[in-house]
Amino acid sequence: MRVLLVEDDDLIGCGVEAGLRRAGFTVDWARDGHNADLALTTTTYELVVLDLGLPRVSGMDVLKRLRDAGKDVPVLVLTARGTVADRVGGLEAGADDYLGKPFDLTELIARCRALLRRAQGRSVEVIRYQDLTVNPAAQTVDVGNTRVSLTSREWAILMQLLTHQGFPLSRASLEESLYGWQEEIESNAIEVHVSNLRKKLGAKLIRTVRNIGYVVEKA
Amino acid sequence: MSASIRRRLALLVLSSIVLIWGIALVSSYRQAKNEVGEWEEARLAELAQMLALLDQRNLTVLANARIDVREEEKGGEPGANDSDDDDTLPRDALFQVRSANGTVLAGSPQLRALQAWDLPVPRVSGTEDMTLGGQIWHTFTLRDTVLGHTVRVFEPANTRSDLVSGVASRIARPTLIALPVLALLVWFSIGWSLAPLKTLSRVIRVRDINRLEPVDIGRAPTEVRPLVDAINLVLSRLRHSIERERAFTADAAHELKTPLAAIKVQAQLALAESDPSLQQLAMERVVQGVDRSARLAEQLLLLARLDVHERIPTAPLKLTVVAKDALLANEHNAEQKNIRVTLTGDPHAEIKAEPVLIGILLDNLLDNAIKYGSAGGTVEVDVQHTTDRVQLTMRDDGPGVAPDDLARLTNRFFRATGTQSPGSGLGLSIVARIAEHFDATMNINTGIGGRGLAVEVSFPAYIKAG
Repeated sequence: MRVLLVEDDDLIGCGVEAGLRRAGFTVDWARDGHNADLALTTTTYELVVLDLGLPRVSGMDVLKRLRDAGKDVPVLVLTARGTVADRVGGLEAGADDYLGKPFDLTELIARCRALLRRAQGRSVEVIRYQDLTVNPAAQTVDVGNTRVSLTSREWAILMQLLTHQGFPLSRASLEESLYGWQEEIESNAIEVHVSNLRKKLGAKLIRTVRNIGYVVEKA
Repeated sequence: MSASIRRRLALLVLSSIVLIWGIALVSSYRQAKNEVGEWEEARLAELAQMLALLDQRNLTVLANARIDVREEEKGGEPGANDSDDDDTLPRDALFQVRSANGTVLAGSPQLRALQAWDLPVPRVSGTEDMTLGGQIWHTFTLRDTVLGHTVRVFEPANTRSDLVSGVASRIARPTLIALPVLALLVWFSIGWSLAPLKTLSRVIRVRDINRLEPVDIGRAPTEVRPLVDAINLVLSRLRHSIERERAFTADAAHELKTPLAAIKVQAQLALAESDPSLQQLAMERVVQGVDRSARLAEQLLLLARLDVHERIPTAPLKLTVVAKDALLANEHNAEQKNIRVTLTGDPHAEIKAEPVLIGILLDNLLDNAIKYGSAGGTVEVDVQHTTDRVQLTMRDDGPGVAPDDLARLTNRFFRATGTQSPGSGLGLSIVARIAEHFDATMNINTGIGGRGLAVEVSFPAYIKAG
């Protein structure tokens, strides 16, 4: 799950970044509106956490440009200005959710998950697939009644495939959702992680689509 | 007793009326007295002329009869003169007729008792007042050219004054009755005229403390209009200052939310983290956040103090000396970014200001210049003295500010680029407020070599007396 965090304040930014990482997200952090614009045009994100009070280009402008470009990635807005008018303005400009400063880190993460769930067309947090039970909030996977432990990369690939059931995902797009800006992409890593997942969860779960990538078929 | 416009006006109006009426009354009394006097004289002359026509026999008869001058009044207007003429003493006219050679032909015998029988006779006709028997008498002498007789008529003076005082009291009486009525009318008309003032005070009294829109009492008279206008002016000033205060409080609260959010996020992270080194890092950031909140609060307090228009005592001070202190205080920050800070210009240039506030001004400017300047670059501090100004210039070679942002730079809480630097966005607005406080002007230009920012603050120079 690759998330773009747009926040000009260092202390808030590094805190939220660390919090989102701990929750299993891949986080890119843009410190101003200009860099946010750049990131949004070059990278596909599944969620944007946007601070409105930005220097140079305001958060509201970033949001408007994003929506004008026809992108419907869910956006969670953070702001110190929490009046009703501000909230209405933000929501009308295309924000999906709103959090006033100072906010609760756990609430921020829960809202991020809810936004993702809604974007994926799910109404409950827990994903059930055949004999598989996946809880994204608790980051647990059960096969039948047996708890299976996954590495964070394996977990990210599994989530990506489960939330895109029926759509084959290329190696490149999986890599993109897995690695942030600062991280080196290891070659062949995706294949290794997929084969590990097959060992832990059963060989039939993930199917290889020749010349394209991988898919978890629709339930 | 408090001063009352109504009471004072009523008193002034009434006393003016009484004064004018008094004067009118006195002058009418005098005129009436004159008129009556003239009329009485004419009557005496008539009496004398009648006596001059009488023969010796008739004169002798008349001399022994009484001529009461009240008789004719009583006959004239019965009842009406009762109140005017309450003189009960007999008012008999006396007379004496002499022949051409001076022998007395006839005379009232009472004249002997008054020792007026042998009075010398004036040569010409006319009136004369004299005292006979302790009383004033009006006399009239007539020299008859036909028979050569001299007729002299005597009348006691009290007959006149009575009539005159009667006329006077007849004029004065309606005036005395009218006075209380007039007083009442004056009192109520003044009260009615002052009604707009009452309305105004009621409107203001019942006004909600939060309602600061202009007072409206409908059509106010020209005398009350300035008062209403003055009150409305004060209200509008109050409204603006309260609005500014509210905006400031709102901005301040929002601005404090950011460091608070940072503290909360870092604290929650520290709580959730199991790795001791990461926990340590998060806790250090919590402390950083608290420091920042404290600094912000300090700056907010400073701005709030500057907003209050209290006069701060000033003293002559050398700008370069204060600048050196600021340089020392920021040495560490400059070293960290490997920035060279230079101080040039006139070391003797003096301004009249408060040293602590000028220190804060310089500190904020220098802090900004180092914060937003390029690492390894230069910050220049320059003090120039012209005839009547002392100009302080602070230049850096950082990325500068977009033209659109320049005007907003001194706005409170505005933060341009420089996202890496923690700041409240209050620095330049504090500088601007301090400069304004000491009648200095502030300009922002491009800095060193067309890069960065140059902040110019121009103070009035301090010129030593003598």
